[in-house]
Amino acid sequence: MVRTTVVGTYPRIGDSFEEQALRRGIARLDRGEANEAELRAATRETVRAVLGEQNGAGIDLVTDGQIAWYDSQSHFAGKLTSIDINGLVRYFDTNTYYRQPVVRGPVSWKGPLLLDEWKFAQSISEAPVKAVLTGPVTLASLALDKHYPSRKALAFDLATAIGEEVGVLVQGGATQIQIDEPILTRHPEELPLVAETLERIRSSKASATLTLFTYFGDVGTIYEDLLEVPADLFGLDLVQGAATWPAVLKHGSAKPLVLGLIDARNTKEEDPAAVAKKVLELDGAVDLKSSFLSPSNGLEFLPRDRARRKLRILRAAADAVGVGA
Amino acid sequence: MTALLTTSVGSFPKPEYLTRARTKHSKGELSEEGLRRLEEKATLEWIRFQEEIGIDILVDGEQYRGDMATYFAENLEGTEISGLVRSYGNRFYKKPIIVDELRLRGPISVDWFKFAQGQTTRPVKGMITGPYTMMDWSFDEYYGSRADACLAFAKLLHQEAVALEGAGAKVVQVDEPALSARFDELPLLVKAVGIVTKGLKAKTVLHTCYGNYNEIFEYFNQLPVDQLDLEMSNSGLDLLDRFKREPLTKEIAFGVIDVHSHVIEPESLIRQRIEKALTIFAPPKLYIDPDCGLKTRSVDEAQAKLRNMTEATRAVRKTHGLS
Repeated sequence: MVRTTVVGTYPRIGDSFEEQALRRGIARLDRGEANEAELRAATRETVRAVLGEQNGAGIDLVTDGQIAWYDSQSHFAGKLTSIDINGLVRYFDTNTYYRQPVVRGPVSWKGPLLLDEWKFAQSISEAPVKAVLTGPVTLASLALDKHYPSRKALAFDLATAIGEEVGVLVQGGATQIQIDEPILTRHPEELPLVAETLERIRSSKASATLTLFTYFGDVGTIYEDLLEVPADLFGLDLVQGAATWPAVLKHGSAKPLVLGLIDARNTKEEDPAAVAKKVLELDGAVDLKSSFLSPSNGLEFLPRDRARRKLRILRAAADAVGVGA
Repeated sequence: MTALLTTSVGSFPKPEYLTRARTKHSKGELSEEGLRRLEEKATLEWIRFQEEIGIDILVDGEQYRGDMATYFAENLEGTEISGLVRSYGNRFYKKPIIVDELRLRGPISVDWFKFAQGQTTRPVKGMITGPYTMMDWSFDEYYGSRADACLAFAKLLHQEAVALEGAGAKVVQVDEPALSARFDELPLLVKAVGIVTKGLKAKTVLHTCYGNYNEIFEYFNQLPVDQLDLEMSNSGLDLLDRFKREPLTKEIAFGVIDVHSHVIEPESLIRQRIEKALTIFAPPKLYIDPDCGLKTRSVDEAQAKLRNMTEATRAVRKTHGLS
């Protein structure tokens, strides 16, 4: 009665020797003992394993785990015009860091950035692969802008670039596009800008489904307005953002939701029956058949073995929703 | 007047022989005693180096620690250590998992403090990873509330602080790099650090780094410690103007060395940084140190940076007629 998906990232190494091939590959490249082609092969083998784990757990809509991404900001932004990549900055309230993009001139798209990796992932996955992109307002907010007169102006050009990328992904066969705007959990006042930039991106998506995902906190104060943003699905972190839940219960949603009820930042394991019971509280207020159950954010904050267990809990909880309906 | 005392934040790089020994130990090819001997050797070398270049308040260099949170967690009851998670790029670390009520088995770092202090007549800092950082950097499968987990760590770490003081520590430092993780939790951090430092007669220090200082600035004077130890150089001394407008009532240990750069800052640049600090802070309340622990640098880089720091401090003291 409810489908399952993941949010984006997935642990790229595990604790066994075999699961650390990518780590060794990057270290070899750094030491000059391997070339880019060898690293790409190691990356793809890891993507294959990550998709295998998601497919094996029976996840309905998967991602490539963003295995090739250095981080959520520099991977995409660093390949646009006029953006350099600077030093490390803490990523929201996590104990992880991103390399900060520095905007030195007008930003534009030079050519496909994610298409090859998406095509590879889709070619080896049993389930459809969602293409995930960091949203323009989050990118603009976490970058160091030395060119534009306002964050809005930068966000618009980033949205145009993201729109171009979405266009080639859709032409390449992607039917599911997700834009991540975690900045909304910190700056809900940016919602109008998110709506305007999403309008630009939406024009490139053709018949693909467009999801807007927010995580690392709640969007309770803007929930009703959020649902007016031009997206087809809304992804919500309902663990760290548990304060959104009362608004979801009260107002429901005319559009389907991605319910991030499995904690992707803590190893504690949820009881699938309890998660299912919570989902069923929305029966009648949200179209659960068109909605998804998911982790609260990318699974990369967990060790690999724990991420695998969370996938199984996710599947079991979704199955329990069906039984309870 | 005693002024511009020099110190360090905590960690120093491990010499190659110790890195190799740790790998062998993790594979079961080197005994606990064999590893301990080499950790003591490296600690002693760092103590001698600090004495040689004239550092005033020493650290033990944390040669026996892997990760700063994991080290304390693996010495407590109620924890397990997780598999690897990514920090950034190709760097991974293991996180503590709280699986049961946290309890002390006994003193954690006191034995190493005694060893280090026993090698020198200069004061050595006692070093504790703070309760908020321990909580923020751990998975929690037991308490179910960040506040409860944080306060549980605080109560145990208070006992550790008291034990360090009892062993002779004149300075106890609480490391809270996670301090600025969640602005709305700063009252919790203040409460937890207050539990750790309660009743201590030793000088208490709180170290933090790489956070959004402007957001947390208003809490600086509320932190229940005698001294704040801040990374200043990585952020281009940006905070000085704010300190001018809103004075710090505590002592400050002022970071004059960027620990994430391979560049060895010349003595002249460090002198400029100290002179800038002196325009805001009174000499007796101003301590000079690196931004953070130096463990990510090579031994040669760390030693060159520290040497320039002490030489620059001596030059500034002389210019200002400070002893």
